[in-house]
Amino acid sequence: MDFLDLFMPAVWFVILALFLLLYVILDGFDLGVGILSLTSSDEQQRSVLMTSLGNVWDANETWLVLMGGALFGAFPLAYGTILHALYAPIYLMILGLILRAVAFEFRENSSQKRPWNLMFGLGSVLAAAAQGVCLGTVLTGIPTDSQGHFIGSTWIWLNWTSLLVAFTLIQGYVLIGSTYLILKTSGDLQRQHVRTAQIAAATTLIGALVITSTTPWVSSSLRERIFDHQFLPLFIALPLLGIALIVQLFRSLRLGQEVWPMVYTVLLFVLSFAGLGLLVFPAIIPPSVTIFEAHASITSLVFMLTFIGVLIPIMLFYNLYNYVAFRGKVPSLEQAD
Amino acid sequence: MPLDPLVLSRMQFALTAIFHMLWPVLSTGLAIFLVVLEGFWLRTRDPFYYRQARFWAKLYVLNFGIGVASGLPMEFQFGTNWAPLSEFVGDFFGAVLGFEGAMAFMLEAGFLGIMLFGWNRVPPVVHFLSTVMVAFGANLSVFWILSANSWLQTPAGGSFADGHFHVQNYFAAINNPFMLRSVWHMSLATVETSMLVVAAVSCWWLLRREAAEAIRRFFSFSLKLALVILLVVAPMQVMAGHESALQVAEHQPTKLAAIEGIWDTQPAGSAPEWSLLALPDEAAERNRWQLGVPGGFSWILEGRSRLSHDVRGLDSWPQADRPKMVGLLFYSFRVMAGIGIAITLLMAVTILLWWRRGLTAETLSQLPWLGWAWILAAPAGYLAIEAGWVVRCVGRQPWTVYGELRTADAATVLPAGEILTSLISFAVLYSVLLVCALWFGSRIIRRGPDLDLTAP
Repeated sequence: MDFLDLFMPAVWFVILALFLLLYVILDGFDLGVGILSLTSSDEQQRSVLMTSLGNVWDANETWLVLMGGALFGAFPLAYGTILHALYAPIYLMILGLILRAVAFEFRENSSQKRPWNLMFGLGSVLAAAAQGVCLGTVLTGIPTDSQGHFIGSTWIWLNWTSLLVAFTLIQGYVLIGSTYLILKTSGDLQRQHVRTAQIAAATTLIGALVITSTTPWVSSSLRERIFDHQFLPLFIALPLLGIALIVQLFRSLRLGQEVWPMVYTVLLFVLSFAGLGLLVFPAIIPPSVTIFEAHASITSLVFMLTFIGVLIPIMLFYNLYNYVAFRGKVPSLEQAD
Repeated sequence: MPLDPLVLSRMQFALTAIFHMLWPVLSTGLAIFLVVLEGFWLRTRDPFYYRQARFWAKLYVLNFGIGVASGLPMEFQFGTNWAPLSEFVGDFFGAVLGFEGAMAFMLEAGFLGIMLFGWNRVPPVVHFLSTVMVAFGANLSVFWILSANSWLQTPAGGSFADGHFHVQNYFAAINNPFMLRSVWHMSLATVETSMLVVAAVSCWWLLRREAAEAIRRFFSFSLKLALVILLVVAPMQVMAGHESALQVAEHQPTKLAAIEGIWDTQPAGSAPEWSLLALPDEAAERNRWQLGVPGGFSWILEGRSRLSHDVRGLDSWPQADRPKMVGLLFYSFRVMAGIGIAITLLMAVTILLWWRRGLTAETLSQLPWLGWAWILAAPAGYLAIEAGWVVRCVGRQPWTVYGELRTADAATVLPAGEILTSLISFAVLYSVLLVCALWFGSRIIRRGPDLDLTAP
């Protein structure tokens, strides 16, 4: 039983991290394409952008719903406390996602596309920004009482660190969106997104450097973790690896490669994600509440694992199949049907 | 009156739930219709069925997109506005929401892309399988969501101690006393309402004088198919509704007393009146006036002339333990049941006419009232569902987990201004959404099917 007490919460932490990572990568490029749609010069280009998302946006967004449900089930205390603390940004994120999703549907059916285009783009920006704010706030820490209930102010999420993370996350989404479009388009549109990818890579790099270098000063618990002799080598290696990936990314963009820019970007996301995970683990409500204090009963975790764990490979398989069925360039309008 | 965060959180949940419910209904029921149509196409390879599938899929996807978007606040509200509830029941309730995401919703969303855009990308059998998976996922969602909601109505499978629900038997919790009949009732409701929409759209086209012959053939078929399905579903729904009322009588006596407007306990052996209409007065704890059927109550409840056991009246509970808004519950129940019965009668009349005159475009143009009756039945289906959910969830008050956790103890302590901001913006946004959805939906309907579409 002792083993399960340690093992099951950790397994669920990893599963949640996996869901979140999949969400951030998949809906990340989705939101990125949404933001980039604001830069499209004409309706035909925008149609290509939208078509590139048509078959996947629902499934991509579902990883967030899944993450929410799994967090609720596996760590109910964390679910309540974190969402309570982040009331405003969560609500703004939902607003952004709703605006974006319905604009997508309504645009399809509308002859007057302009307002929906704007709503799609701005909804994407809002959702991305709000997610960044949430991430930033959770990392810097959520004040709790001894029972793990939120005790901070309503405006806890409004600070420089979370805004900086929000800005960087938007850039990251634009970067992964650009590299997705390099993969899915050709000609002018592709050249245009090589440029946006280069710009976004540069701004993401700046953001990431600022975040990395200021993190030790943001909270004492993060500082302790970074300079812990066990973790220090990792926290030196991760940024170096990141820089190497960015160099490779720039190189592949210059060479006009189609697949590699997205691969490098995804790896960058994975790397940043691993860094964040190492920073907080085993806390689930940083800085004070750990997964061992906030988890549901062990039998619940086992029960959930038998149902959801088995499904993870199956879900991955049919999502992958969706991408395989629609591989290749986005067809132009006349080929679309 | 100072703004009470609890009231605001309840209003927000009610508002988002009432609006959200409008969309998944069609994407759950219509998905089954699409499976049937595509099945026809796969068997016969007649492009007629292919065009049917493509046309109705347009309404489906509009609904699905808005359904997903409008459903997001539902999940997150448990954390933002009802954090104590999340902590109290997370072990079970959260797990079920997780199952819904992983088993049902992901299945539907994952195969949706192929169903909508994959006609020329995957083999027909794989496409059919995708449509089946979409329908299966949607209906599995009904199962999990209704199981979770039923558990809040009749918590089972564990015990409550130190501010937590401890699950002892997951299968008993999932299969709680309300679950089976609730899932059944709601699944039938989604199919029934969706088929009412198909029938209404078809009748609207058949009543148009300028509709071409090919269009008439198209919608005659969809009308007939919808009616055939309704023929099975509508009477079953009346029975399922009655079964649901019986389970309320057994497990939630306060809800039963409220929906029937019973204030005083009716002893076993008596033959009380059944009130058809009434004006419940909560302050005076009685009905101001009522129009009733003498001796009807025991017939409705037990199918016999005298009650076999006591039925408790509302005044047998302290005020704090019984639902408020008795009038709302009383009439919501009547609206739901009345619509269910009216639709079954309309079904019966139509079948009779079908038998005698043949159900064709001509019959409908000779009997325009029949077409209009079906057109009006579509919004009535939605109204019945909303009324049913009001009965279900308002009738459970003052409990969130019936008999175990009061709604007042389930809400997060938040600044009222914060909830008010989100509440108002959701109200505005959802109202605009509904108007747009109706506008674009009617546009899809007005444009009609593409009869030149060639099958892959």
